[in-house]
Amino acid sequence: MSAVDGLAGRVRAAAPFGTDAGVDRSLLLLFPLIAYELLFFVAPFLILLRISLAEPSTAGAYASGTWSIQPYVDVLTSEFFLGVIAYSFKLGVISTVITVALGTFYAYAIWRASGLYKSLLLFSIVLPLLTTLVIKTYAWLPLLAPTGTVNDLLLAANVLSSPVQFAPNTPGVVLGEVYIVLPYAVLAIYSVLSTMDWTVVEAARDLGASRPRSFAEVVLPQAIPGIAVGTVVTFAWSVGAYAAPALLGAGSDRTFAIEVESQMLSNFNWSVGTAFAVIMLVLMFVSSLALFNLLNRWGGEVEYGA
Amino acid sequence: MARRETAETAAFHAGALSILAFMFLPLVVVVATSFSASGNLAFPPEGFSLAWYGEFFDDADWLQAFDNSVVIGIGTTLLSTFLGVTAALGLQGRSGGWGRYLAPVALLPLLIPPVVLGVALLVYFSEIGLRSSYLGIVLAHTLWATPLVFFVMQSVFSRFDWELRDAGMDLGASPLRTFYHITLPGVRNGIVVSALLAFVISLQEFIMALFLSNYATRTIPVLAWGTLRQSLNPVVSVVSTFLILLSVIVIAVAALVMNLEWVAKRLS
Repeated sequence: MSAVDGLAGRVRAAAPFGTDAGVDRSLLLLFPLIAYELLFFVAPFLILLRISLAEPSTAGAYASGTWSIQPYVDVLTSEFFLGVIAYSFKLGVISTVITVALGTFYAYAIWRASGLYKSLLLFSIVLPLLTTLVIKTYAWLPLLAPTGTVNDLLLAANVLSSPVQFAPNTPGVVLGEVYIVLPYAVLAIYSVLSTMDWTVVEAARDLGASRPRSFAEVVLPQAIPGIAVGTVVTFAWSVGAYAAPALLGAGSDRTFAIEVESQMLSNFNWSVGTAFAVIMLVLMFVSSLALFNLLNRWGGEVEYGA
Repeated sequence: MARRETAETAAFHAGALSILAFMFLPLVVVVATSFSASGNLAFPPEGFSLAWYGEFFDDADWLQAFDNSVVIGIGTTLLSTFLGVTAALGLQGRSGGWGRYLAPVALLPLLIPPVVLGVALLVYFSEIGLRSSYLGIVLAHTLWATPLVFFVMQSVFSRFDWELRDAGMDLGASPLRTFYHITLPGVRNGIVVSALLAFVISLQEFIMALFLSNYATRTIPVLAWGTLRQSLNPVVSVVSTFLILLSVIVIAVAALVMNLEWVAKRLS
């Protein structure tokens, strides 16, 4: 049977439009997207790479036609720029740990919920996902400012004796960033959980596993692929954070995205701006890939163990 | 034992409800402060008034930004729906070959920090003369909207009964005619949902637009950002309330047409 399926599948795969002429036609359908991606995604990055290798210029944004690795040397030997990179990664790691922990829990809660309650939980994820970053960021200011709601409540409850500046400050940045990326993590984990068989968890419980234990030993290992995707997405987004640190952060909360923006739009130093962007992209790509492999290997081992 | 389970259940629900509240809190703050009577952005707001709504409708800058957002949103919807639908249709039933590399490439822009995308496109558009134009911002937003349309449509097409199309072709209809009369009616809902999502993505995107727009072409989120950096102005909450309302409507339509869980999974 599988041989027949395989053959039929292969025939269909080879000729989705049923005829030989149709094969070409269906390839033709891919052409617009391929052309678009080449022209407006691949090409801009090649130009970006090219300009990052041009000499800085005092007259314009960069000296066109020149070649130089000076911008890269400038960035990589500057204590200030290295500090910005370190801060970005620190923010990325802290936000990712908090987000993935909360996200795993919330995805599990959505999976276990039913009916209207489940829809409400899903809605609470989808609505912020489709809301602009600007709203998601500034809404925290009246809550976290020294004269804001949170301070008022904590002062009234005598938890604090004097107001604390949550924002603009690092705690505000982390909170804002977690809020921004949580929906992505939840959905990535939820879409894996929702394919899981609940009866397996019930079996573990019938065999005497406590609920936390059945979660840790049955649910978690199977959710690893979703957690891995959620972690990488969260990490990539928080390392590249712009809105939360810019609006909710103090002057010292300077991420690479903020720095790139000011080099490009305020200083008009495109050589350094583009070189910094390329360096950050490479660092992010390498660390995300390492993280993804690490998580998947860890997940694989747990599965073999169980 | 039973008592421990009750405590566990209570803690579990308390945790879930706390996150639920956390997710809605900023949106509640925004809507509440738009009705503020004072110029302070305080929560809960001091008094109630519609003054800031009047302010919004009297301000030429906001109305211009609104027009810009709509033009760019419609442009992005048309372009990304076209690109996403054609590509999903072209890859339908095709499992091997180099075609499978197209989906990951199309997905990549979603993983690159928007600031880096903004920089790359700013540099590129300056070279080819599209800087600060509507078209430039549309092309940028399409980078984000297309993968969404593509994955929605891929999953819609995979549920479509392709034997209907084969039957149409066998009966002598041209591929174009078959698509229009047989495939299209079957996947229309999916196209509507993906077009709506593309529009919302464009409407809400702000970092690429920040890099690629100027005074005349800036969108609502860009102007809101610029305003916020100077002062916390309740007019921003008015605009934000409109944006949130629009997303609620789109999600409601999408949920009615396809169901919320299905839409949520396509967004991840």
